[in-house]
Amino acid sequence: MKEFHARGIVSGKGAGPALVSEEAISFLGDIDIKSGRVVGDLASVRNASVRGTVLIIPYTRGSAGAWRFLYQLFKHGNHPAAIVSNIVPDPAVIQGAILAGIPTVCEPQGDFKEAIANGQRVEVEVKDSIGIVRLG
Amino acid sequence: MELTREEEDMLAGKQGATKRVAMEGLVQLGRAYGAPRMVEIGYAHVHAGMALYLEDVEMIEELAGQNARFSVPTSVNIANADTVNWQQTGAPEKLARLQQRAGTAHHKLGSSCTFTCTPYWAGHWPTWNMHMTSIESGVTVFCNSVIGAKSNRDGYFSVYAGLTGRYPLFGYHLDENRRGNMLFAVDAQLSGTTDFSCLGFHIGKVVGDGVPVVTGFKRRPSLDELDALGVGMATSGGVALFIIPQITPPYASIEQAFAFGPVPDPLPVRRADIDAVYDYFCTSPTGDVDIIHVGCPHASFEEMREYAEMLRGKKVSANVEFWITTSRAVRNMSQEQGLLKVLEAAGAKVIADTCPISCHFARTVSPDPALGVVPPTIGTVLVDSAKQAKYVRDMIRCDTLLAPTAQVIEAAIAGRYAGPTAQGRTP
Repeated sequence: MKEFHARGIVSGKGAGPALVSEEAISFLGDIDIKSGRVVGDLASVRNASVRGTVLIIPYTRGSAGAWRFLYQLFKHGNHPAAIVSNIVPDPAVIQGAILAGIPTVCEPQGDFKEAIANGQRVEVEVKDSIGIVRLG
Repeated sequence: MELTREEEDMLAGKQGATKRVAMEGLVQLGRAYGAPRMVEIGYAHVHAGMALYLEDVEMIEELAGQNARFSVPTSVNIANADTVNWQQTGAPEKLARLQQRAGTAHHKLGSSCTFTCTPYWAGHWPTWNMHMTSIESGVTVFCNSVIGAKSNRDGYFSVYAGLTGRYPLFGYHLDENRRGNMLFAVDAQLSGTTDFSCLGFHIGKVVGDGVPVVTGFKRRPSLDELDALGVGMATSGGVALFIIPQITPPYASIEQAFAFGPVPDPLPVRRADIDAVYDYFCTSPTGDVDIIHVGCPHASFEEMREYAEMLRGKKVSANVEFWITTSRAVRNMSQEQGLLKVLEAAGAKVIADTCPISCHFARTVSPDPALGVVPPTIGTVLVDSAKQAKYVRDMIRCDTLLAPTAQVIEAAIAGRYAGPTAQGRTP
């Protein structure tokens, strides 16, 4: 098992298979809340479901409405188990993740980007702003 | 993050579970952005509780049920149905009744039940340097740029800020972030809110989430035009603040807008840039339309007067639906002024609390058979706002036409839009 440190943004613990997006994601429009599927123009993850995955993204694309769609994904039971973003997500995304209780980290350290692959089991744990990402 | 004694008490639950949850959320948000402390806010524009989203009204009801109260003046954002005259928009009664429950909950919470995206036209006008929060990015940009208050683009956490009276100090609450990073020189004659809406859309696309400094206006833009400008920017970009020297407090000059640092070379904005936005939103090949809409963002009293002048003694064609959307406060003012009678006699639907995006978009992404909500069947919508055009096109996924207000109202009377369509523009 490999362990990476990261900045903890939203507290909690979540695990699931990795879903690695090469493109930035907008929670308003890119993901269908009723199915959890990626419907936006994101070539690397198109049609994949985010449900139960650890969503790995470079950053989030801005919309002040993002919180609602992330929260609605949760209400429909289609939310990711955790989010790992290279860059700190937009305030609206953080607000949605807190409401939905989705553990979120950013700035994973070391060679995380090289180590991570689609489908790999990932565990994210955040406590007191300290994030840990475990691959195994 | 350094907290005051009172904030620590809230976090420890000494002021009840609601404030504890709110403060926990605000502290996590603050830590994510390196906020050193909280600021006291003077105003919050908050989430309505949207009937078209799953268990969303219930979120607000839950707060009201816990005897929570807002601790600052609070206005309420747009909703999914006109809670008084829902039949006008074809909303199912079940949906309207659910939306009304949000109003009841907000009354308990102490909110002013504005149900609008333009609370400033309903009397919510903060002051220069006042920290505030807003769930609606158009309100954020208006209050930052026209009034000089301090607001980020927030989401649900505006509710948390309203409950605690606190918000973490980061982003546009810090003076160091309230300075320009791009300079635009407008070299075009602009007239009316649609032109300003298109100018804003153009600038927002170029500047992204930066702070545009805009110069070159031949005259002082009206309040409605400034509103349209900011909303346009917040639609295409992540803009929270624009600076027009001599208008945006406290910026007296271009130099001050750039904090007396280097001033970048101005980017010219020409008429062709504005026209390109009109073109971009004219996707329908013909002038046949189903819904004709004005009032995005929600119309001011001045705009209601303009509409009434254009429609006095005229009749909206039976071929189309003509919607005017505004806040209930402005609708009431219009009624007292005798404008509502003029507009309704002409066959316009004067709708409060909602708009085409707000009452149809969620039907598209989240139809709910239990509420009688089915996806809408709309061919083409003609609008006078770039914001409404963008969301109608991208989210409701129907064709749009975008034209200045006067032409939009002429089309409502004629029953058909005679201006340039996609076919007319694309060779």
